[in-house]
Amino acid sequence: MAVLFLFAGCGVLLLRVFDPATSGLFPPCPLHYFTGLYCPGCGSLRAMHQLLHGNLREAWALNPMAVLLLPFVVYGLTSEALLQLRGRGLPHLFLPAIWIRALGVAIVLFGIARNLPVDPFDLLAPGILLPL
Amino acid sequence: MFCPQCGASNADTAAICTQCGRQLQAAIPPVGAPTPLPVQGVVLPPGTTVPNFLVFAILATVFCCLPAGIPAIVFAAQVNSKLQVGDVAGAQAASNNAKMWCWISFGVGLAAIGVWVLLVMIGVVSGIHNN
Repeated sequence: MAVLFLFAGCGVLLLRVFDPATSGLFPPCPLHYFTGLYCPGCGSLRAMHQLLHGNLREAWALNPMAVLLLPFVVYGLTSEALLQLRGRGLPHLFLPAIWIRALGVAIVLFGIARNLPVDPFDLLAPGILLPL
Repeated sequence: MFCPQCGASNADTAAICTQCGRQLQAAIPPVGAPTPLPVQGVVLPPGTTVPNFLVFAILATVFCCLPAGIPAIVFAAQVNSKLQVGDVAGAQAASNNAKMWCWISFGVGLAAIGVWVLLVMIGVVSGIHNN
C-alpha cells in the first residue's frame, strides 16, 4: 500500500510538471485512441494538471465529473493513508447504497452524453468549454 | 484530561481521578477501536466495518478511463445496501467482489501503461532509424 502511495505521489509530481495535453509522457485513453469516443474519464488527467496549477475553470471544462468527485477521492485516500500511518483513518463516511447507485448511473450517463454531438451535451466533451 | 465527574485536571494516562477517585480510562474508547456503524436503525455489531472500495472504483472509472471500475461501483453499492439491512456476510461477499474489480482495473491500467511505454519506445527507436 505504501508503494502505491509512493506511485501516486510521483504521478502527482509528474502531472504538476508536464501537461498531458501537450506532452507525450502520459498514455492517452485507450478507448479514445482506438474509437475516437470519449469515456467518463477522458480529460481527467489534463483537468488534474490544470487543478495543480490552480485553474479551476480549465479543469471544469476538461472533465467536470472528475472535478466534482476529486474532494471525495482525496478524502478517501487521505483516510487510507492515515490508517496506514497511525492506524486510524478519518471519520468513516457511510453513503446510502442508493447514492452510490445514482453515482454509478450518473457516471455512465455522463460518458454517453459527452459523445452526443448535440447541444448542450457536446459541451461535456473534454475541452469544449475551454476559455479562449 | 479532565475528570468527567469533578472536573479536576489529570494526566492523560491516569487510570483514576486524583481528586475524586473516579475511574477515567474506561470512559474513553481505546484509540483505533472501530465504532459500531449506525445504519438507518440497524446497529451492526462493534468492529463491523465492511470496506466498499468506492474511492478506488471512482479512481479507476473517472480518473483512469477504466470501464472495469463500473462493476466495482455496483458492488460498492451492494456492500452498503447489504449493510443497511444488517446482512454482514452478504456485504463481505460484495466487498470481496468490489475489491476484485478494483484490482482488475489496476491490472488493466498497468498493462495499458506498459503497452504505451512500449509503443513510445518503439516509436523512438524507429524514429532514430528513420533519421
